[in-house]
Amino acid sequence: MAEIRFDKVSFSYGDQPVLDDITFHLVPGTFYGIVGPNGAGKSTLLKLMDRFLLPEKGSIYLDNRPLSQYSLKELARNIALIPQTPEYYPFTAREVVMLGRFPFGHRFQSPSSEDQRIVEQAMMSAGVLELADRPVSQLSGGERQRVTLARAIAQRTNVLLLDEPTNHLDIEHQILICQLLREKSHQGALCIGVLHDLNLVSAFCDVVLVLSRGRLVKRGTPSEVFTPKLIEDVYGIRVPKLTHPETGRPIIVP
Amino acid sequence: MKRPIYRTTGMIILVIVVALAATTIGTVAVPAKSVLKMLAYKIPGFSQRIEPDWTKAQEVIVLQIRLPRVLLAILVGGGLSIAGVLFQGILRNPLADPYIIGVSSGASLGATLALLFFIPMGWGGFSILPLFAFTGAILATFVVYRVGMVRGRLHPTNLILAGVAVAALLTAFVSFLMVLRIQNIQDVYLWLMGSLSGRGWKHLAIAAPYILVGIGAAVWLARDLNVYLLGEETAHSLGIGVQKLQRQVLIVGSLIAAACVSVTGVIGFVGLMVPHAVRLVVGPEHRRLTIVSFFSGAIFLLVADTLARTLFSPIELPVGIITALAGGPFFIYLMKRGSGSYG
Repeated sequence: MAEIRFDKVSFSYGDQPVLDDITFHLVPGTFYGIVGPNGAGKSTLLKLMDRFLLPEKGSIYLDNRPLSQYSLKELARNIALIPQTPEYYPFTAREVVMLGRFPFGHRFQSPSSEDQRIVEQAMMSAGVLELADRPVSQLSGGERQRVTLARAIAQRTNVLLLDEPTNHLDIEHQILICQLLREKSHQGALCIGVLHDLNLVSAFCDVVLVLSRGRLVKRGTPSEVFTPKLIEDVYGIRVPKLTHPETGRPIIVP
Repeated sequence: MKRPIYRTTGMIILVIVVALAATTIGTVAVPAKSVLKMLAYKIPGFSQRIEPDWTKAQEVIVLQIRLPRVLLAILVGGGLSIAGVLFQGILRNPLADPYIIGVSSGASLGATLALLFFIPMGWGGFSILPLFAFTGAILATFVVYRVGMVRGRLHPTNLILAGVAVAALLTAFVSFLMVLRIQNIQDVYLWLMGSLSGRGWKHLAIAAPYILVGIGAAVWLARDLNVYLLGEETAHSLGIGVQKLQRQVLIVGSLIAAACVSVTGVIGFVGLMVPHAVRLVVGPEHRRLTIVSFFSGAIFLLVADTLARTLFSPIELPVGIITALAGGPFFIYLMKRGSGSYG
């Protein structure tokens, strides 16, 4: 169980402001979707959450303890990240997923049978067990992304951060990943995904945060957030009001 | 985890066998048995049981000339290879070698100054040469590092470009100095090609501490480098202090490379090629890669140096010629056959 709180956080790259006075509170057991146009500061928000970047003003708390008081290893045992552009090296898929156990081991310790079990399980749930001994550099973009997901799951953290996790995936695998995250959040994890596909967010996320020009402009369930008015205000496009015939969730198409 | 221990033991034995063979080969052949006896004779407690059956000349050749040279070849070959592993890893660039961030050009300038100016002026003799080369290497690396940083962060491409720029500048200085003292440039020229000729216990004593500590540090950092290769963001999220790791790896790699260069001159190709060749065989895991690269580089340079001093005896070739001659084609072969691309 973990919660994250932003208290009046601002951040800028050089003299270019990226995030301005952001305050929110994220609770466990929820799948949050962060949306907004390009350059709204979504990825920066995630980078602040795992302390890859430090806020200029304000504070960030993980379980009511300032993020700055955690050691990096401690943070890695609490927060897992799937970055936007993971890099690959000719490791096998299993080796990559095993690196998810890195924050838990000692420098000269070899993986325990418990680690092996966790890694197999993570690979199974991400559907990459049959790729285990293939070099990641030889896998397709979608397969790589799922290996990265398995690595993050193998970290067994209470918080999962995802930066465009569905970027390289076909629709089947996009849905597979979103289902997996929803499942994780229903088991008590705090999942936060930056996503471009508003329909995926609408279908799977419990709560949506909308960023625009570095400010948090709206927060709520998909039905509360994805109104034609908000879409026009934030993205500058006009959309009809449509809902999914079965789930009743909004559908966003031009 | 028994297999790595077997592998390491096997490689240690192989290095010892090759080293022993290299010690016996030369203009004066000394049987391996005599070499072993000579060594044992030096061990306290053993000397009474051994009947010396070798000449004084043989003893000098083995213990004062060949042995330190063989040990130096092992350390420098292994050291350069490990430095190559470190730089290729931390810069995430397959073309990185131990000299990429200024070590060789800095050392060259230091050595040139020593050989053309200070030594002829009677400053302390040839023993100041490694000191000058080492200082030059460290200073140049420091400048490259400062120039290559962007807003306090290491940027691999910038660092490599800074290395190229500083190397161009320093090489121009070296050429300029050589023109000024054109009548004395033979020594500089031979030094620039890299050689183990005439290196003795003194050189070993200068370089060994840095190289040995560096090897230990490289093995210590190996697992962190594995994580680092998944990208900076991922490494950070797995608990690696990315900037700290980059600093540590650059310092360790530069110290190893500087120590090697300062006693042998610029021996090319070992640090670039050995890590690649080893990676194709044992894969990218850095602990394994580091250890196997050390032994492979050690054996490679040892064999190359033995060829360098025996092929055209009594003329000695600079070993850098042999490493490039053997290394170039071998590398091309590996690339053509290799399935494992870098990334």
